[in-house]
Amino acid sequence: MASSTLLRSTLPRTFASATGRNVLRSALQGTDELNLAYSSLISRSKARASSTAQYVPGGPIIKGTVNDPVEFPPPSRTHGSYHWAFERLLAASLVPMTAAAFVTSGSSYPVFDGLLGLSLVMHSHIGFDSMIVDYVHKRKFPILGPILSWTLRTATVGVLVGVYQFNTNDIGLTELIAKVWTA
Amino acid sequence: MQVLAKTARASALRSCMRSFASAALEKPVLNKEFKIYRWNPDEPAKKPTLQSYTIDLNQTGPMVLDALIKIKNEVDPTLTFRRSCREGICGSCAMNIDGQNTLACLCRIDRNPAKNSKIYPLPHMYIVKDLVPDLTLFYKQYKSIKPYLQNDNLPEQGEYLQTQEDRKKLDGLYECILCACCSTSCPSYWWNQDEYLGPATLMQAYRWIADSRDSYGAQRKEQLQNEMSMYRCHTIFNCARTCPKGLNPAEAIAKIKLELAAD
Repeated sequence: MASSTLLRSTLPRTFASATGRNVLRSALQGTDELNLAYSSLISRSKARASSTAQYVPGGPIIKGTVNDPVEFPPPSRTHGSYHWAFERLLAASLVPMTAAAFVTSGSSYPVFDGLLGLSLVMHSHIGFDSMIVDYVHKRKFPILGPILSWTLRTATVGVLVGVYQFNTNDIGLTELIAKVWTA
Repeated sequence: MQVLAKTARASALRSCMRSFASAALEKPVLNKEFKIYRWNPDEPAKKPTLQSYTIDLNQTGPMVLDALIKIKNEVDPTLTFRRSCREGICGSCAMNIDGQNTLACLCRIDRNPAKNSKIYPLPHMYIVKDLVPDLTLFYKQYKSIKPYLQNDNLPEQGEYLQTQEDRKKLDGLYECILCACCSTSCPSYWWNQDEYLGPATLMQAYRWIADSRDSYGAQRKEQLQNEMSMYRCHTIFNCARTCPKGLNPAEAIAKIKLELAAD
């Protein structure tokens, strides 16, 4: 870490002087030590980011030397294409389901009403989860990120239970919206 | 005597004509204010400021890059920016002009003298000096997608052949000059650029996935199978809107997503 700050502070001046080029070259050769310092830093603290290197708030976001390519996190279709395809199919199927809810009445088709409730809740869960990944990812917010993720999961489960109770013991989702609409 | 008078009259007429012509050619002064982002790494404690320069547009070329070069040559030699080809093929002079990422050499100066023109470096990047952003991470990301032909089955002789239809799939992809205008206009790239590859790199990833001569498509796609590298694209379309070359990175990313989903 000390060598990296040294390198950063000398960079502008070495660029300014023509004779500084050799200094820069020798400084860049020291990047192997820099890498070692980084990797020890990573191994000491658990890697929280989805890739192997740790995120340092406000620090340099470049890991390794300038010539190393960025690393990819381990591939996982559950977090990749399956998640995306599920999200898109769910969103698309909500359109005809909402339209169908206008035509039918919820109390005569309780299973359909339950399915619509489940889909809506899952759709909004995925949407909120995407926001958490975008803005409060746990690699940047090691405390707040997980708290929000678990709050969201608890809320989703709570809402699902509530929707189930409401649909089985009361008039159900579609009927409620129809009543509020006409009220 | 007569001949002499005639030549004298003719020369007088000619000089009169000359002065008239030069008066007509002299353009009126059209001053315009440019406000340019300045930050000097030699004075790290000093905050970045907008510095104002006023130049005569009638003594300047038509593009913003011409204005910048005129300012650097004639007003303030400390103004720092990247430029090379001045015809939109090198991608060096990418910057944020009046709120839009574009190439200074392809951006015409708005000739309304009442409105000033604001020039910033590419947004949400570390700045080396003035209008020069640090593109190290951008190039590291580009390198990570292995932007070169990978194929273990060498053709028996000559080069890899490709049908005209397969070649057509690369149109609109290979023209990218990696100026970073699209990536730095993407909000998702602003928040997560340490993990998300950004539109420019993803479009080049698709350029090699789509190439019929490349046999590593499965590995290239497998790399993107995670939450961050590509799926941070939320189809905002800033990339397609800002691209100074008129390309559509959003479409390329959508095609990768479709191919991954169909996989």
